[in-house]
Amino acid sequence: MATTTAAITLTSDLMSDSISVSASSTLMKAGTTADGLDQMDYGVIEIPTGDQYDLICTTPTASKATKLYVKNHSIDETYYVKIMIDAQDIGRLYGGDWMFIPADFHDANADVEITSIGGTNKIEYALFHEGTTLTAS
Amino acid sequence: MATICTINIASDIAPGFGGINESMTLTQAGTLTDIDSTTGFQIRKLKSTSTVDLVTMANELVEPEDSQAAKIYIRNIGDGRGNVDKSVGVTIGVNAEPLGKLFGGDWMMAPLTTIDADDVTATPDTDDTVVLEYIMFYEEA
Repeated sequence: MATTTAAITLTSDLMSDSISVSASSTLMKAGTTADGLDQMDYGVIEIPTGDQYDLICTTPTASKATKLYVKNHSIDETYYVKIMIDAQDIGRLYGGDWMFIPADFHDANADVEITSIGGTNKIEYALFHEGTTLTAS
Repeated sequence: MATICTINIASDIAPGFGGINESMTLTQAGTLTDIDSTTGFQIRKLKSTSTVDLVTMANELVEPEDSQAAKIYIRNIGDGRGNVDKSVGVTIGVNAEPLGKLFGGDWMMAPLTTIDADDVTATPDTDDTVVLEYIMFYEEA
């Protein structure tokens, strides 16, 4: 079985008593405890300003346990990318920000879309999934 | 007053994949100033397949500034009594748009617009008890 683990440590001193959260998860196929996600797409791309692009061009099998990591490697804190799914604005990743979300691609329109603001943003992404719909050549 | 998130991903899916180890300091939009508002750490116990709001943006006591650098952390911690079922999923959504499912033990960190319509929703797969823990960081309007 392929094994992928994702761990987070979150600390904050916004309140008088500091918050500290640690969590780790082994990424399994949907609804299973014995079989891990076994496919991944990983890349680094530069997104110019202007158009909106599909960050994930192929659609993994819908309604599974896919996880998506995205980091904006821009060093200018004023640059950001807008993240959208199926035309719904999710939020912004400024330079240095990352996100890690489940992405079940529930229908053919549910691609992850990205728009660069401020300048060209360098984006790292990793999609951990099971199965994929291949495009015939 | 810093809020720092670190992610570590290790995987043997692809030989040679060196993993991901990244840290981010949550800052206000377009600046190096630390983010300064939070909902605080909360839990929500769900017992039905009905969709509920985890965060109703318009109801926050401190109004979030729209379209800034807000983030939310959510984790499915199982039934709240130490039992974590990997087969029980909860679909997390924004403004009725599903993002994906958090199965038992899964966590997420996502950016948010915090626009009033863009509530964060949770829809369990089953009637089994499932507890989500979450915290949102944002900028005050």
